Amino acid sequence: MADHDTAVSHHEEHHEAHGTGFYWQVGGVLAVVTAAEVAAFVYRDLFGHVTFLILLFSLMFAKGIGVVLYFMHLRGDARIFQFVFIVPFTLAVSMVLAFLVLFSHHVGIAG
Amino acid sequence: MSSSAGHTHHGEAHQKPLVGSMGVDSRKLGLWAFIGSETLFFATLILTHLIFYARTTNTLSSVGALELLDPRLGYLAIELTTVLATLLLASSLTMVLALAASKARDWKRFRFWQLATILLGASFVGGQIYEFIHLYHEGLKLAPAYEMHLSHEAYKALSALNIDPSIVRLKEAGEHATALVPSLFGVTFFVMTGFHGLHVTIGIIWLIAIYVKVLRFPESPENPMDIELGGLYWHFVDLVWVAIFTLIYLI
Repeated sequence: MADHDTAVSHHEEHHEAHGTGFYWQVGGVLAVVTAAEVAAFVYRDLFGHVTFLILLFSLMFAKGIGVVLYFMHLRGDARIFQFVFIVPFTLAVSMVLAFLVLFSHHVGIAG
Repeated sequence: MSSSAGHTHHGEAHQKPLVGSMGVDSRKLGLWAFIGSETLFFATLILTHLIFYARTTNTLSSVGALELLDPRLGYLAIELTTVLATLLLASSLTMVLALAASKARDWKRFRFWQLATILLGASFVGGQIYEFIHLYHEGLKLAPAYEMHLSHEAYKALSALNIDPSIVRLKEAGEHATALVPSLFGVTFFVMTGFHGLHVTIGIIWLIAIYVKVLRFPESPENPMDIELGGLYWHFVDLVWVAIFTLIYLI
């Protein structure tokens, strides 16, 4: 039990390693990524469709990863927390991609 | 969840974390498991919306009417939703700053950032209600059809296509013309964004409860974990909006 308490304290202390300045920096980066998303949408005619999709998906995942790792503190937290989040997340992404392919014009039943 | 023993006014011994057999705080593990299940829940709602949007556009495209009746281009503008995304993102930042202040036991700063988070969240919900009312008056309803107002030129162009009324029903009354399109676009859109708004509202209530509790019991050793749990949930609703903003409004 004492070991467990120590383990919990260790994880909680890890959160304090980041100062408030770090969180402002992460927030600033996320704001810039959001601005880049909107700019990509406004100037979408400059890109090919596939390039536009890759760009927006990359920016979306960058934002999501920033929130999960640094605001939700999943980075460096107990592995069991990572497990119970990443497994259903992977399942959800796989399900979305599989169904989108199934309902696509080119491969599946096209809605 | 919080025992009365934890609400000590006399600086009693620190309460031990609720450590389970996994060696971590049980409440935090439960919340992460809940967030995992919610990820699947929202993925299903987003996916359903994308599929029914694809069905509508495929049908409209097959009769040559997509350009004039695409529901996403007809209804969803990014100006307001960009503001909403910024509000929620800013609230995630203020939430993590509130948590950092609580760990430093700086309760004055905590109250400032927590209140800022609550206000930003309430602004988001207000903006979403405004968007819903606007869309409803534009013709997008929680119903298996949407109505689009047409210019005279658009009405003439669609009339010339002789589209089956089961796909697009044109109406003209005086100078106003509309097209009624059977589609689940509106239903799936309102259900998806409505559930997200409901989650944000629940998050606001949760954050207010934490704010009041910390105000009444500033010495409770449970405060940092209570704030961390509320913060985790709050960041999750921000995370869902990150996905909805890109997948529904931008792509």
